[in-house]
Amino acid sequence: MSTSKAILSTAAGGSAGNAASKPRSHPRKRTRNQFFAFRGTLSKRAQIITAAFASLFVLGLWEISTRLGWINAVFLPPPTVTIETLWNMILHKNLLWHAGVSTLRIWVAFSLSVIMAVPIGIAMSSFRGVGAALEPIVDFIRYLPVPALVPLSIIWFGVGETTKIFLLWLGTFFQLVLLVADDMRRVPQEYVEISYTVGARPAQMLSDVAFRAMLPSLFDNLRITLGWCWTYLIIAEIVAADNGLGFVIWAARRYMNTSEVMAGVVTIGLIGLVTDQVLRLLHKRLFRYL
Amino acid sequence: MATAPYLEFDGVAKYFGDLEVVAPSFDLTIQRNEFVVFLGPSGSGKTTLMRMVGGLETPTYGEIRLDGQPIGEPDRERGMVFQSYSSFPWLTVAENVAYGMKYRLDLTPERKKARLDHYLKLVGLTDFADFYPNKVSGGMRQRIAIARTLAAGSEVLLMDEPFGALDAQRREGLQIALRRIHRQDAKTIIFVTHDVDEAVFLADRIIVFSKRPARMLEDVDISAELGPERTLELRDSEAFFKLRTRILKLVRAATGEEEKV
Ligand SMILES: Nc1ncnc2c1ncn2[C@@H]1O[C@H](COP(=O)(O)OP(=O)(O)OP(=O)(O)O)[C@@H](O)[C@H]1O
Ligand SMILES: [Mg+2]
Repeated sequence: MSTSKAILSTAAGGSAGNAASKPRSHPRKRTRNQFFAFRGTLSKRAQIITAAFASLFVLGLWEISTRLGWINAVFLPPPTVTIETLWNMILHKNLLWHAGVSTLRIWVAFSLSVIMAVPIGIAMSSFRGVGAALEPIVDFIRYLPVPALVPLSIIWFGVGETTKIFLLWLGTFFQLVLLVADDMRRVPQEYVEISYTVGARPAQMLSDVAFRAMLPSLFDNLRITLGWCWTYLIIAEIVAADNGLGFVIWAARRYMNTSEVMAGVVTIGLIGLVTDQVLRLLHKRLFRYL
Repeated sequence: MATAPYLEFDGVAKYFGDLEVVAPSFDLTIQRNEFVVFLGPSGSGKTTLMRMVGGLETPTYGEIRLDGQPIGEPDRERGMVFQSYSSFPWLTVAENVAYGMKYRLDLTPERKKARLDHYLKLVGLTDFADFYPNKVSGGMRQRIAIARTLAAGSEVLLMDEPFGALDAQRREGLQIALRRIHRQDAKTIIFVTHDVDEAVFLADRIIVFSKRPARMLEDVDISAELGPERTLELRDSEAFFKLRTRILKLVRAATGEEEKV
């Protein structure tokens, strides 16, 4: 009894952000944090503090273990050294420019994937004929590992930008098509029928209702696939590039410059972290009604 | 009441592959402005019958006619109110109701606005116009759906267990509201429910179905016994109680032995 009350009160505390549901005025918002309760709630502040502590702990452990010589600093430079190198690379080695080049490649290739995958995916799940025709092809290509196609794509497109864009597109398009098709399939049949019974034509139903209904999950899937792009980008840049973060990392490896390798890796992680947070925030803004 | 047939099931049968869902030959005539409740065991084919009226399924045999015309594609003439997913979460209450008129070219924007206000008021949602559906109660969400079909200008309302997920308190309020709307707006309503009490309270006429494949077991004229006016007092009356008991027995018989315990 008392536990269920606690859950109720924390749940109320958690949603008190909405101005509409704040009629009672407690002197202090009471939020019992439930660290280890299954699907328990945790206040925003507690979450941030927890995240900060966990990160600091990992960094601290890493720093100490290299400082104390448990791990050879040549193989794994400590965080302080990595950050210092990162800063030096920004100042003297155009790190930001390389990061910009990589990011640009990702956005170009990813946009291409999205522009193609969204309509095709929708068509695949909306029209049985299209689905039947494309599913086996997409499924086959989807399972081909991108690195296996690197040699072919170099033969086809040389070592220029086309190869890189192609590899990135290859890695995301076929996955995305199926995810989009699934998003569309999950739109409740009721929505479709409501639309038809107020007089919508199929095209109107698709754009006004079905597409609108799938938007939140589509957005989520785009956010997740965007992350995969980095994997393929590094492969592409390692094999055939003279700029970009993959090139920086690979070049540093040649001289056993592990701190520069680490700095490159950390840059990718930071870009990923920031992008993901921005997209999450955008998701919240766009889909307030959820 | 005019006696010209309005909605006619003429020799209808429905199969899903080998599964016989509506037994041949199903005949039923519904008058304009009648409130008909379909009552019967789970899986008997009530939803299927209703979906055929909506144009969302087609009869395997026979024909359904509305005002003499065979029913074709879905149309705003026949509006649906579902039990769940009955409103769009990304639209506000008012936008959901207005969606019913989105594809109507015969209304000016001013007319649409006036109708929107009218139907919001009719279902008691004026104060919640700018809320999103996830911020209002389940009962209000069903009101949204009802107002949307009315705003669309549907002449026939097809309601498939629309109050099924609501608590008794809310159901009662909605039943009274729906009955009032039915009389005020002169719509023809087909309403599916499992709740005998709800059926007797709402219906002009109750059709009791057999187990699958659906066959009409009884056609009970409720209005002949209770009259058109339905109030809370009526619910406690002896006439209501007797009628309810009678229908309950019919439904039990239709459902069969296993649920008699
Ligand atoms: N599209 C379909 N394809 C195949 N079978 C279907 C389809 N729609 C319904 N059925 C089957 O037809 C039968 C009747 O279903 P229906 O939904 O009409 O019953 P119902 O009377 O509305 O039941 P309930 O009271 O449980 O809602 C069920 O056995 C159901 O599984
Ligand atoms: Mg049903």
